[in-house]
Amino acid sequence: MPGTKKIKTDEPVHIATYWQLVWRQFRKHKLALIGGIIFLFLILFTVIGPFLVPHQYGDMNFMAIFAPPLTEEHPLGTNELGQDVLVRVMFGGRISLLVGFLAAGLSVSIGTTVGLLSGFFGGKVDRVLMRLVDVMLSIPMFPVLLTLTLVFGSGLRNVIVVLTLFGWMGVARLVRGTVLSLRETEYVQAAWALGARNSGIILRHIFPNVLPIIIVSATLNISFAILAESSLSYLGLGIQPPTPSWGNMLQNSLNYMLGTAQGVSPWWLTFFPGFFIFLTVLNINFLGDGLRDALDPKVMKK
Amino acid sequence: MILMQKYIVRRLLEVIPILLFISIVIFIILNAMPGDALLQMRMENPRSFANDPEALDRLRAHYGLDQPVYVRYGVWLGKMLQGDMGYSSTYRVPVLNLLRSRIPNTLILTVTAWLIGLVVALPIGIYSAIKKYSVFDFMATGFAFVGISLPHFWFALMAIIIFSVHLGWLPISGMSSYGVTGTWDVFIDRFRHLILPACILGFVQVAYWVRYIRTALIEVMNMDYIRTAYSKGITRKKVIFKHALKNALIPIITILALDIPYFFGGAVIVETVFSWPGMGRLMYQAVLGSDHNLAINCLIFLALVTLMSNLMADFLYAFVDPRIRYN
Repeated sequence: MPGTKKIKTDEPVHIATYWQLVWRQFRKHKLALIGGIIFLFLILFTVIGPFLVPHQYGDMNFMAIFAPPLTEEHPLGTNELGQDVLVRVMFGGRISLLVGFLAAGLSVSIGTTVGLLSGFFGGKVDRVLMRLVDVMLSIPMFPVLLTLTLVFGSGLRNVIVVLTLFGWMGVARLVRGTVLSLRETEYVQAAWALGARNSGIILRHIFPNVLPIIIVSATLNISFAILAESSLSYLGLGIQPPTPSWGNMLQNSLNYMLGTAQGVSPWWLTFFPGFFIFLTVLNINFLGDGLRDALDPKVMKK
Repeated sequence: MILMQKYIVRRLLEVIPILLFISIVIFIILNAMPGDALLQMRMENPRSFANDPEALDRLRAHYGLDQPVYVRYGVWLGKMLQGDMGYSSTYRVPVLNLLRSRIPNTLILTVTAWLIGLVVALPIGIYSAIKKYSVFDFMATGFAFVGISLPHFWFALMAIIIFSVHLGWLPISGMSSYGVTGTWDVFIDRFRHLILPACILGFVQVAYWVRYIRTALIEVMNMDYIRTAYSKGITRKKVIFKHALKNALIPIITILALDIPYFFGGAVIVETVFSWPGMGRLMYQAVLGSDHNLAINCLIFLALVTLMSNLMADFLYAFVDPRIRYN
């Protein structure tokens, strides 16, 4: 026919999938992209870093105590036992990130489950679960967190358990809210009418649609967990020395903050662990902000 | 108005079962903790206990510590309802006296921090909403991200190192210095001690509030009635301050009230770092020293603050926004 464009049939038509669209959107968010790259770099820094440094975190060198940063062999200086601050920061980062990832993963899983059940089944289930959320939210978190770590004893596993216990409520609320509106959408109603089982509807039709919220909550939960772990360790209730963590390195630095017997005030013991906490949390927050924009289908249409 | 009163009364009554539940949880947690006041006593006075091995059991019976948890909870609750908070085993004074001396200190700190937060966040938030996507807005957003990501205690420590240790401008810790007399000098001394902790406690909240105020105001600025106001020829200033801000205030007030518990939570860390003699530090020491009586009262006080500020936020919300239905 004249006037119609000839469609090349030998070339496959490229239709972008959801995740390709997300990536396209995410790339535009420069700050988030940089945040993501720095965060990846921090993970590599803590995981691979210790192998590249000629020290172990426990190695002591009494000939070089309180060496300031940029001294030979110790780019970030040494502490009161002559231990290399750089390698301790790397090791401490492993612990902090591990706590962050595990606590966030667990609390997001619990929160998602509660939110899905509550939103989907409604009625009594919803009322009981949401009351639980309300009560959990009205418990003063930090003091109770502190008390719980004292009761269960400090240490990696207990810190993760306690942070999970107090991290799931926000996610549960968000997921529930979304599920409530998803439940009324035509495609879910249609699935229902076609006789799909509840579990099928939840897993096939609802879960993929709450996934964006879950991913964003997960990133923000990681930064919450890292901050909380460092606060607990700082108060002496988190990860116990000699295993270094960013929090307990800071706590240790308190002893020398006002100056040492040698007459130096080793600011680097306080500065570096805290700076890495800050750097990690900041970049996770940037990442989360970018993901929030990228995963939102409303923004994508623009 | 009757509807509103009913709503308020109902919400107030709801606090009671929640508080009971929280007290049970806290009681159980504290009792699961290793060590009690008697062990503390034995540690301090080992010789007299060594001479009389049964003394510990007698004392335990005397204080009712040999009873099961639910009996002890009942006894505790009964005394509590009569206004008897018991004794602190570490300070050896009635808990009530301790709370009475510590609560004002915490209030001074938190209220100042809250005010600092408000005074700083409000103009920044409003200005960056008005000048959306400007350099100022970009910087305010960056500043907010930094504030959200800063660990309280590290920020506090660095501030102490810089301002107190190196520059020597401000005192390192505590609430007052020894030997300062005269009304004016005492006031200045207190003020100098207050600056760092209050600024740090306030700063972290500023970061959240700037973001929140900006979003709230931008949302209102997109409304139809703002466009109408502009089209009527009202000046930009008047539109922003009379029409937009007034409506944006509803969510802003709510968040200001809802965030009050964060100040008390943050106060635990800030008070510990600065040795500020307030509730947060008292609670921390009570829990560490297994001073159950004191710890449970501190924790319940903090829970009550949380519940009350949640309630206040809801009431304010219902009060300012005529669209809210009370059910």
